[in-house]
Amino acid sequence: MPTETFVLFELAGTTYGLPSREVQHIEMLDHVTPVPNTIPSVEGVVFSRGQVIPAMNLRVRFGFPREEHTLKTRLIVVQVHRRSVALIVDAAREFRPIPETAIRPIEETIAGINNNYLCGVAQLGDRLILLLNVDAVLNLGEANRVAESAAMARTPSVSDQPVTASV
Amino acid sequence: MSSGPPQDLGADFLDDFYAECDEHLTAIRHGLTSLDHSVGRAEPDAAVVEKLFRNFHSFKGNAAIVGLRPAEELAHAAEDFLRQLSRGGAMVSTKGLDLLMSATQRLEQMVASHRAGENLPNATALCDALREISGTDAPPATTQSVPASEDSVQATLESKVEVARAQGKTLWQFRFSPHRDLDLRGVNVNSVRQRIARYGEILQSTPHVDSASSIVFEFIAALNETPADLAAWEADGIHVQPFESVAREPRPEQSDASSDTAAGPFVAPSHVVRVDLSRLDELMRITGEMVIHRARLDDQISRLLRPGAQTDPRSLQEISTALARDLRELREGIMRVRLVPVSEIFSRMPFVVRDLARDSNKQIRLTLTGQQTEIDKYIVERLKDPLLHLVRNCISHGIELPDERTAAGKDLQATIFLRASTTGDSVLIEMGDDGRGIDAEFVVRRAVEQGLPISSELNPNAILNLICQPGFSTRSETDRAAGRGVGMSVVQSVVRELGGTLALDSTPGKGTRFSLRLPLTLAIADVFIVSANELICAVPQSFVQEVLPLEPDAIRRIGGTEVIPYRDGILPLFRLRDMFRIDAALTSSQTVLVLRSERGSIGLAVDRIHGQREVVVRAIRDPLIQVPGVAGATELGDGRPVLILDAAELTSGVVRPNPGETPGARNTFAVAI
Repeated sequence: MPTETFVLFELAGTTYGLPSREVQHIEMLDHVTPVPNTIPSVEGVVFSRGQVIPAMNLRVRFGFPREEHTLKTRLIVVQVHRRSVALIVDAAREFRPIPETAIRPIEETIAGINNNYLCGVAQLGDRLILLLNVDAVLNLGEANRVAESAAMARTPSVSDQPVTASV
Repeated sequence: MSSGPPQDLGADFLDDFYAECDEHLTAIRHGLTSLDHSVGRAEPDAAVVEKLFRNFHSFKGNAAIVGLRPAEELAHAAEDFLRQLSRGGAMVSTKGLDLLMSATQRLEQMVASHRAGENLPNATALCDALREISGTDAPPATTQSVPASEDSVQATLESKVEVARAQGKTLWQFRFSPHRDLDLRGVNVNSVRQRIARYGEILQSTPHVDSASSIVFEFIAALNETPADLAAWEADGIHVQPFESVAREPRPEQSDASSDTAAGPFVAPSHVVRVDLSRLDELMRITGEMVIHRARLDDQISRLLRPGAQTDPRSLQEISTALARDLRELREGIMRVRLVPVSEIFSRMPFVVRDLARDSNKQIRLTLTGQQTEIDKYIVERLKDPLLHLVRNCISHGIELPDERTAAGKDLQATIFLRASTTGDSVLIEMGDDGRGIDAEFVVRRAVEQGLPISSELNPNAILNLICQPGFSTRSETDRAAGRGVGMSVVQSVVRELGGTLALDSTPGKGTRFSLRLPLTLAIADVFIVSANELICAVPQSFVQEVLPLEPDAIRRIGGTEVIPYRDGILPLFRLRDMFRIDAALTSSQTVLVLRSERGSIGLAVDRIHGQREVVVRAIRDPLIQVPGVAGATELGDGRPVLILDAAELTSGVVRPNPGETPGARNTFAVAI
């Protein structure tokens, strides 16, 4: 039975999964250097293996309120199409093989949520894991930008301040 | 790592070949440009013709080694024509020069095709034309008119073999596989070639790729005498055997081999830098000094380790200082090795201009200035396409037809200029024309039609940003020279990726000028480290003209912009705090860095200046973080990225801080478009 390993992470109380082949490494969040004039979800830049890469706050990307970074906050550095981006998530501590049979396409499971960024749902026992489509998350297309701005408008709690993260 | 994989060997040798071809072609282009001035005169500059002749000749030899028959043929025809010229047998006519230029371009295409593993472009007509103009009736036997078919190559060889046999010469076949170890001993294709040539004439040289995909050069030669030291030849990796007959070499293998050679994963010549020996000597000298300093360091350390030893800390400090100096020199030395003259791009422009001018029935004179300006090899390579595009754009959009120019009271012949100059640690490349200039209203109208966002201001930067929008095109149909609607956006993104800036000046009716400011080299920059509250940034030192204390009482507001008096005028004030939306209370007085570029000046207000440093510049490549006003990033030893501000962009007015912005938009400074 074909099985793929996923990195599981938490975001606003939900568990998400990323294929581990797309994950370069995971690290604790030390410091993000703010960059002006980026889209709201990009908090700034970090160094990863000598490269300057964007650090994207997935909470903001998905329209959740921004939260202070904690000791559990993690940077997941993903690499797709030779491009590396660090994703800021609430927590990440699990690797989990998921058999293909446990994965269902998103349409038949949850209706009515913004599922642009998902490519499936995995059911492991009583846990639901939303599988992330990294390509869509990193896509800078205009539609995404607009969606993100709209999300920003709906959540006034999102700070306008550049966030200097601290552990 | 005594020997690399076989592919690498082949690649190395072909690399060399491509690099050499490039060199000859560059020299030829140079020569032809100067020959241009001799058109119509009975006696062309003999030195120039002689040099051209030699360049074509060397190119021919090169082409022969890798079996590029058609190129060899064409180079030979050009050589013949030049020989006629140097003997005074022909006058440099526009037609002759045109033919030589076409031949040069065709040779370049051939090399490019060979590299890409594509079919070679046909040059038979060009060869014939060159022969006709130089009055050579029949091509000499060594370079029979060869349509690019293997059959006739074999036929040519066959006839040569017959001639040689008739002359009583002995035929030998030499097979030589280049190897790194041999190369170290000075045994390479060229030396082997010369060695064979000492004993007779090489009838044919062909490179093969053998089963292990390493390259084997095969020479068939007619020798006047048999070399006595054949064993020594074998020791040098040259396999010698009597040559039986042409038919021994099965044809299919040969054609397969040549296509393999061309299609292999070879590195483009753009990665090869020819280095002046004196620059390498300098590197050797520095390395030598470092060895001495390290020995002194060792000495001090062993003294320290002796029981009860006392060491003067100053001597350690002294060694550290010396090593630091060595490192700096070493770094500069390596940087210099990477520098190449900008003429690598400039010298191909006369050809482009000539062709396009002819195609578009326009009369254009091209002036090149500062060709010896040096810039990093990588930057030169990346700039080729953008500059080519700018020149094409200028010819198809900027330059008017002769009638229109006459009507406007201008010189019938338009002028395009390319200028390069060094300023501090950046290089300024300007490209301009005296054409009709950019019609701002037309650009805006087209942009509106194409649904692009328009700003209310119409300064040159706003126009530049419009024409650099992906998809912007002023033409509804595409033409040969420009107009596919991708060009300017590519130009801008390449320049930005290289850490440079693009600026535009245009006067309707008078002309257009594009200025590309590029870092001299990518890796290292001198910067001021500044901060606002806890945020640290770097500002390129070459743009900093002066540092002043900020006197709050002197700040005035003009139309929502803060300004401070500076010398006889005023200076727009940018606050680093505004750029990053920092509103923590100020604890001390601020400092202003006066930044100046060819686009303008600003005062950058910062909380503190921490000092001056050399930093390693890291490019910002991800589109998510490519923002105006930020040129790159670096780190100061703690692993945290520090942004390097883009002083050229800040001073150009493209980026301005916008403290009065409505809340909700997180953009902390606006882009003027």
